[in-house]
Amino acid sequence: MSALPDRRIGVYVCHCGGNISDYVDVDRVIASVEQEPGVKVARTAMFTCSDATQTEIVTDIQEQELDGLVVASCSPKLHTFTFRNAAKRAGLNPYQYTQVNIREQCSWTHTDDHEGATEKAIRLVRAGINRTRLTSPLEPLVVETSQRALVVGGGIAGLRAALGLAEIGLGVFLVERSAELGGWVGRLGEIYPHGKNGYELVAGLEEKVRARPDVTVLTNAEVVGKSGSFGNYVASIRVQGEQGPETIEVDVGAIIVATGFDAYQPDEGEYGYGIEGVLTLPEFEELLSASDGPLELDGRSVRSIGYVYCIGSRQPHGNAYCSRYCCPAAIHASLRVADRGAGVSQYHLYREMRAYGEHELAFSESRKRGSLYLRFADDDPPTVIREDDGLKVTVRDLLTAGEEVTIPVDLLVLVTGMVPRSNDELIQALKLPVGRDGFFNEIHPKLRPVETVVDGVLIAGACQGPKTSSESVASGLAAVTQTAAMLKLGRAELDPQVAVVNGAACTGCGDCVAACPFAAIAMTGTNGNALAFVDGAVCKGCGGCTPVCPENAIDLLGYTDAQVRSMIDGLVAAV
Amino acid sequence: MSTSSSNGSSSAGGGGRVDYDARVVGSGIGGMESALKLGAMGYRVLVVEKEPSVGGKMILLSKVFPTLDCASCISTPKMGETTHHPNLTVLTDAEVAGIGRDDDGRFSVRVRQKPRFVDTPLCTGCRLCEFACSVSVPDQFNGELVARRAAYIPFPQAVPQKALVERAGTSPCTFACPAGIKAHGYVSLARSGEYEKAFQLVLETTPLVGSLGRACYAPCEEQCTRGDLEGSLPIRRIKRFLADRHEGGPGVEPGEPTGKRVAIVGSGPAGLTAAWQLGLRGHRVKIFEAAPEPGGAMRLSIPSYRLPAEVVERDVANVTALGVEIETNSRVDDLEALQRDGFDAVLLATGTPVPVQLGVPREELGAVSPALDFLRSVKLGDPPDLAGKRVVVIGGGNVAIDAARSALRLGASEVHEVCLEARSQMPAYEFEVEEAVAEGVVLHDSWGIRGFGGKDEVTAVELKRCTAVFGADGRFDPQYDETETDELACDVAIVAIGMRRERNLQVDAITLQSAEQPWLFAAGDVVTGPAKIVDAVGAGRRAAFMLDRYLRGESLSEVPFDERLPGVEHEDVLRRQRGHSRRDPLAPAIRLVSHPSDFAELEPGLAEDEIRAAAARCLDCGVCSECHECISVCPAGAIDLEQREQELEVGVGSVIVSTGYSLFPADAKPQYGYGRFQNVITGVQMERLLAPTRPYNTVLRPSDGKMPDRIAYVMCTGSRDETVGNPLCSKFCCMYSIKQNQLIMGALPLADVTVHYVDIRTPGKGYDEFFEQAKAMGGQFIKGRVASIAEAEGGNLILRYEDVDNGGHIAEAEYDLVVLAVGVRPNLDTKTLFSDEELALDEFDYVDEPEEDINPGATSIPGVFVAGAAAGAKDIPESILHAGAAVAQAAAWLEREKVTA
Repeated sequence: MSALPDRRIGVYVCHCGGNISDYVDVDRVIASVEQEPGVKVARTAMFTCSDATQTEIVTDIQEQELDGLVVASCSPKLHTFTFRNAAKRAGLNPYQYTQVNIREQCSWTHTDDHEGATEKAIRLVRAGINRTRLTSPLEPLVVETSQRALVVGGGIAGLRAALGLAEIGLGVFLVERSAELGGWVGRLGEIYPHGKNGYELVAGLEEKVRARPDVTVLTNAEVVGKSGSFGNYVASIRVQGEQGPETIEVDVGAIIVATGFDAYQPDEGEYGYGIEGVLTLPEFEELLSASDGPLELDGRSVRSIGYVYCIGSRQPHGNAYCSRYCCPAAIHASLRVADRGAGVSQYHLYREMRAYGEHELAFSESRKRGSLYLRFADDDPPTVIREDDGLKVTVRDLLTAGEEVTIPVDLLVLVTGMVPRSNDELIQALKLPVGRDGFFNEIHPKLRPVETVVDGVLIAGACQGPKTSSESVASGLAAVTQTAAMLKLGRAELDPQVAVVNGAACTGCGDCVAACPFAAIAMTGTNGNALAFVDGAVCKGCGGCTPVCPENAIDLLGYTDAQVRSMIDGLVAAV
Repeated sequence: MSTSSSNGSSSAGGGGRVDYDARVVGSGIGGMESALKLGAMGYRVLVVEKEPSVGGKMILLSKVFPTLDCASCISTPKMGETTHHPNLTVLTDAEVAGIGRDDDGRFSVRVRQKPRFVDTPLCTGCRLCEFACSVSVPDQFNGELVARRAAYIPFPQAVPQKALVERAGTSPCTFACPAGIKAHGYVSLARSGEYEKAFQLVLETTPLVGSLGRACYAPCEEQCTRGDLEGSLPIRRIKRFLADRHEGGPGVEPGEPTGKRVAIVGSGPAGLTAAWQLGLRGHRVKIFEAAPEPGGAMRLSIPSYRLPAEVVERDVANVTALGVEIETNSRVDDLEALQRDGFDAVLLATGTPVPVQLGVPREELGAVSPALDFLRSVKLGDPPDLAGKRVVVIGGGNVAIDAARSALRLGASEVHEVCLEARSQMPAYEFEVEEAVAEGVVLHDSWGIRGFGGKDEVTAVELKRCTAVFGADGRFDPQYDETETDELACDVAIVAIGMRRERNLQVDAITLQSAEQPWLFAAGDVVTGPAKIVDAVGAGRRAAFMLDRYLRGESLSEVPFDERLPGVEHEDVLRRQRGHSRRDPLAPAIRLVSHPSDFAELEPGLAEDEIRAAAARCLDCGVCSECHECISVCPAGAIDLEQREQELEVGVGSVIVSTGYSLFPADAKPQYGYGRFQNVITGVQMERLLAPTRPYNTVLRPSDGKMPDRIAYVMCTGSRDETVGNPLCSKFCCMYSIKQNQLIMGALPLADVTVHYVDIRTPGKGYDEFFEQAKAMGGQFIKGRVASIAEAEGGNLILRYEDVDNGGHIAEAEYDLVVLAVGVRPNLDTKTLFSDEELALDEFDYVDEPEEDINPGATSIPGVFVAGAAAGAKDIPESILHAGAAVAQAAAWLEREKVTA
């Protein structure tokens, strides 16, 4: 073993306000590692991420001339950038920083074993010190970013996002699968809560979008592929050409996915679906928008309406999630009915009334105007039958001491929720992450709510989860903001922790090319003299290529073989 | 007047205006998100935050739903990034005074920078000031569950991690003191048992600690806010305790010698205080005193039963310990001669030693003497023989009272006091008149003096009825009814109708400097006429301050001296101190006897336990007591109590309003008992009990620190409730209660948690699943409003509620702890942000979004956007998305402006 490089490393172990120190003896961790070679500073802190401790770290780096930094705290997902930035402020290369996770992977997982958790933390911190000892300064890869973005989906969120991007000075390709822009909202009449007309809203937006020279609208178009990397993607779009389908390619820096939702479609017989007079909420809204004046169904006047809520949502077997928009939507629909003249009896059969925020006002209003609300238990749903004298819904109403009531209605609305849209091709093309509920997943609902794990691929609107129209617009604009934050400056820094090939050792076997899931490696040079080449802008630093190389000719900067071996040494050595 | 610099460079010095692209009001999660995103796009952003830390409400939460991430872990990186981002400038402790529109469509913003009383760049956040601070107040960052200091760092993750001193103003007691003694400060130190430090604090102003502790008329006590409740604090007697307890010399070193010499003529309170202050500043001082003993009126005329000579002597010794020389029996008539003798400056502080004469017939008779002479002879140990004699004292002031009571003590058979005024109008303090009468002085009020009877020696005082003392204009203009007369037989008459100065010297009222001779200053009664000791102390201090500047060759014009923050209003203190407990004042300690025969001190000193009990009654009106402990411990010299509010003006292209929300004040639902029942807390307080930086390190109930076994949540407190004027649903209370529910089950595995709800509203990504999870963990959910809460013995609470799902009957249940799930109220700060235009609010006073459907975040004013809960209740993810929407439009606006500019 070669002599250890002479390093000056600072080690900080976090209490995380008890999240760690309630289970890990952080003072013992410090005592155990402060004698490790190269460690010059070793301290604990209540909140290492706090500004005060960051300032302390900066001071230590400068005063003690540290050339390596280890913070043992939470997941690197949370604070790697925090401490890299602190290092940078102090003049230390940020890639000479190592984050050691002793919270998610230690204190939180071993709450019943303080001794074991403490030992594990010591090993983890030691491994982090060992890795840091072998770090060298890395400079970020700087890429010029395209000043254009791709918006997938021409519903209200996508339209507003396209306009928003253009207004900030970014060029836009807006891709819509169907022939028309507008999505769900474009098919609606009056929408809540402001009583605006959905069709008119969308038409107004579309006019503005089409008027902008910097927005290219592609309808009957689908995204089928993506290559390149953040800042410089090439998106393949299948469009209807004059000679049939053809694929065009556009250069974009980022992609906003706003593909919306599908309405839940009940099964035949589910709450009487299929029986004459039983409609889903979208079908009912269509009926409402189709005519003015007193409501009629198949030519017969509608004098009474029942609403059954939570159809396809909050089900123990099936969709577990709440669809959010349906309670306010159904209440609003009942108010529209009431607007058309008195005399229609309306019965709402619900489980929990999610008239959140200002929707509460509509809920109150509907009750004032005669709507009756009956509450059924989760495990005791209403039954729907049609007899000779008409449609009947029977429910045990918890609000009246569990009394069973049978209500004859002319029309029954199944208040159906939202379901994820089937979009397999797009998911494949963009590598979109899908959550348990089938909607697209953001990285973090608070830290990075419109970003996905794929750099530069963002999500907006109801494709991420059920939302109302204005909530979708807000999230579309939030995606615009994030896109502009990434592209507007025209350049972006990429993580330099990428694979590199040692040309002298590479034999050109091509095993790494096959192993790379991001197509970041290509062979260069002629046959017999071919060498692997890694495109650093595409490489994600996953390390998939390094173990397959028979010559050990490929290494991952930041996680070199030597570093990983040293970390293993640190983990297995006795405590 | 404003000049805008297009390149946005900050101008040095005052007057210039700094320009930014955008300004964000409020640095909660919505504000930080807005600012960071604009900064990332390359815009220059100013963030204005009224609190001492960025971070808003989120940083104070425990964990956040539905991921149960720790709120700190999500907030702190954003807080750090906000303050470190090169495109962002953050002003904490700053409020918007007004936003106006410039001719070019941009906005000009006036920002009030509130003082932190700490020089922030110097502060290292070491918290020594906090540990030394003598004042505790409820910690607003901990739901007021525990106390914090007046000097403090807001919370462990605060950014900036710098101290501040909370000052609501000058405490009324300190504000009332003519000498500028930090009354609140020494009371506060005495409360902590820091008697010597308290003594030293008084010494910062004057060496006369013992004398003032006895003979001061204590204007501080008249202003004490406790006086509006059970009675004022005995502030003066606390000071006396400090002086009595102190041993040895003052323990203060003179300042670095300046080589300058000052002569002070007169050793009364003004002269002694000035000498002390000048000595502290390193000047060599010599006092010339005409009398055989130094101390002026304190030593020569205030009787020993009020102020013993030894007490004055000890105070004088403080001054001489500093190297001040006192030459007694040394009358100075020629001030210029002092200057010729090498004194660099002279202070005249000779007081008012000349008695005023009555100007009535036979005033020159024997045994008619001025009170000053009489009192002086007593105090210097050579009293006249009054045994068995009838004494008449003429005058209604304090000196007359002193003379009358002294005469009694010398064995006079009768002592009569005659005064022009009716008793209620007498200039003497009423308590002194009462004491004098109790001791046997016979008061004859509303009588004037016609003359004296007798041949050589006086035998009688001739009286005439006084019908009015003051004319219509309020000036002294006595009117007599010459027809109504009387006569008091007497052996000795003592005249105490006033004193005047010997020499008339005109000095500037502010600088106390003579206009003719710049080396000559005057202070005290010689300038003002007869006044209180403490007034003279104040004048002596001022004179020393000015003299010092003069001696150092510094300008005397417009120099701030003893500039205090405005006095705190009693109502404000009492509003803040809703929870103060009743604490009765000390019973009066003076026992009076008829015809006392000695000059023993009347008022006993207070014992230490009495001092502690008395000082503990202090309401800390100004919050900071100005005890100066922080100043003495700060290793960086960063404390600066002289900081004052500043106003600055900035120009911006766009404004984002992210002022957040207020919480429903839970005591507005009196039937729930918040504020009356200790174990009824709010959801915010439960957040603090569960947070990583929690005050008790576990969940305890406030009344007795017991771990609660049965905990109830009362949902919709202040929401969906027309009776409190809020029909809106607050959106996030269901989720935070369910989250707390789960966290409590983790923290207190044995506790049962029951949620009394109206509707459970969990409509968000992963939210309903989170609700199901709570139910699966054992959380109980009962549908039905809670009608009322009553307190049972031992602090438990009885909830009366409707049980809808089980037949709708009314039921009662007992809990250890009740959490009110308080909802959202608008932050009304938005009403006053704009001066030229009106920012439209909706009917519930949230910022209106006229085009919410398509332009969420746009307000009624072009170029002004709203982010987060300022526009209505929002949870954190929704606030962040909303901020994103506001930023997209603000950026679009700025780009448009760029094109049209």
